[in-house]
Amino acid sequence: MKEAIALEFYKTRRRRIWVIVAAMIFVQMLWSMWGVGRMDAHDLAEGWMFFLYKLPLLNSIMMPVIAAVVASRLCDIEHKGQTLKLLNTVMPAGRLFAAKFICGALYLLAAVLLQIAVMVVTGCAAGFEGNPPLGKLLLYLLFTMAATLTILLLQQVLSLLFANQMISLSVGLVGGLAGLFTMFFPQGLERLLLWGYYGVLMLVGMDWDAGTRIMDLHYTPVDWAGFFMLAVLFCALYMIGRTLFVRKEM
Amino acid sequence: MFFRTLRAERMKLRHSPVWLAFLILPVIPAVMGTFNYLQNIDILQDQWYSMWTQHTLFTCYFFLPATIGVYCSYLCRLEHTNHNWNAVMTAPVPVSAVYLAKLTAASVMVLLTQIWIGVLFVLSGKIFGMSAPVPPELAEWLLYGAVGGIVICALQLCISLVIRSFAVPVGIALIGGVAGLAAVAKGCGVWFPYSLLSLGMRANHPGGPLQCGTGQFFLNSLFYLAVCIAFAVLWLKKRDVVAG
Repeated sequence: MKEAIALEFYKTRRRRIWVIVAAMIFVQMLWSMWGVGRMDAHDLAEGWMFFLYKLPLLNSIMMPVIAAVVASRLCDIEHKGQTLKLLNTVMPAGRLFAAKFICGALYLLAAVLLQIAVMVVTGCAAGFEGNPPLGKLLLYLLFTMAATLTILLLQQVLSLLFANQMISLSVGLVGGLAGLFTMFFPQGLERLLLWGYYGVLMLVGMDWDAGTRIMDLHYTPVDWAGFFMLAVLFCALYMIGRTLFVRKEM
Repeated sequence: MFFRTLRAERMKLRHSPVWLAFLILPVIPAVMGTFNYLQNIDILQDQWYSMWTQHTLFTCYFFLPATIGVYCSYLCRLEHTNHNWNAVMTAPVPVSAVYLAKLTAASVMVLLTQIWIGVLFVLSGKIFGMSAPVPPELAEWLLYGAVGGIVICALQLCISLVIRSFAVPVGIALIGGVAGLAAVAKGCGVWFPYSLLSLGMRANHPGGPLQCGTGQFFLNSLFYLAVCIAFAVLWLKKRDVVAG
């Protein structure tokens, strides 16, 4: 398995997948920092919560597309080079599926870790009240990765099953749009959509006072039921996707 | 010659499901935007104008540029695969016609999407009993939006010509869309090609005149179109193709 993962990185060594991931994270960070620059004392007191509220929103817009791009970059090389037939003769299809997924997951893990690092550095530099909430940041890492990896898995299945990459990327875009909109709806609806889980697993809620025009943020209880549902969805998707890929005529 | 190239482009796209994305994408903001509008009807009191922002804001900045990116990537991928550039470049057709045919195909799709967005907007308002008449500016919003969309098509086609990957230009389009939001917020949206779509559609300011002035909007759109066409023609003329 180690060899298979190393081969995936070897195959993509000059494809600069990290560039597009880094560029998108950079844009996200610029956007967040722009918000930090205009903070007053009330906002600085809620600074850490501001990040934990804003970033899932940004993630729900951008992460589905980042996941779609990464999955497509990893899978499209096999379609273009018509190498699936050859690969099938030297390694089991299931292992190739797992290796591609782990390779993509590592890129996205790096992206989320980078997000957290920038969050901590920016927060300390801007003078947010209190120390970085490590427990909450760890939960953010867990939940963001859970939602992102499930989306990456779906994208990988689509990118492997259909040589036409337009299908997988369109699903990524439409899903991202639907996920973003469900954030403004009651929670029940969010749970029905895979892309809505950035919202379901959010750690911070917002109270908007229309009279004073003041936004108050507060920590919300962790939705473990939502996380469990996502985990079940991930397992089901992995088994179905892997089976479909293994049984596909190469 | 151009029309024959256009016909060839149409033949290449026949039976391809590319139009599906453009059909489905506007339906989501239409349904959810209307729902969101109805939920917040106490704050959003400008009827049609408030609903327009709900329908178009997110689509213009994040999703329509990226969908145009997908379509342009697809148009170029047809040539990038199966050694097709060899066939295209040896055909007795000027390279400008090849690029312009692709641009026309993408522009037609943008125009149809704009019409579809308009139809969904009017339908949503009528279904939920909007009492005021449909805003007379609707056609103008859609037409100006189409102009902005065509500029993005021209730019994305250039990017997809240079970058042989399918997914990377889509990522660039998404980054462009997000950066477009920042450009509009800073007041220099008219100078940034990805912002022209949302500016033209008045996504965040439907009530008044165009924020940047009509003349400036069209001038800049024309400028970016000309630059993209010139770049694509030069690129195709001067660079040796990579066929694979």
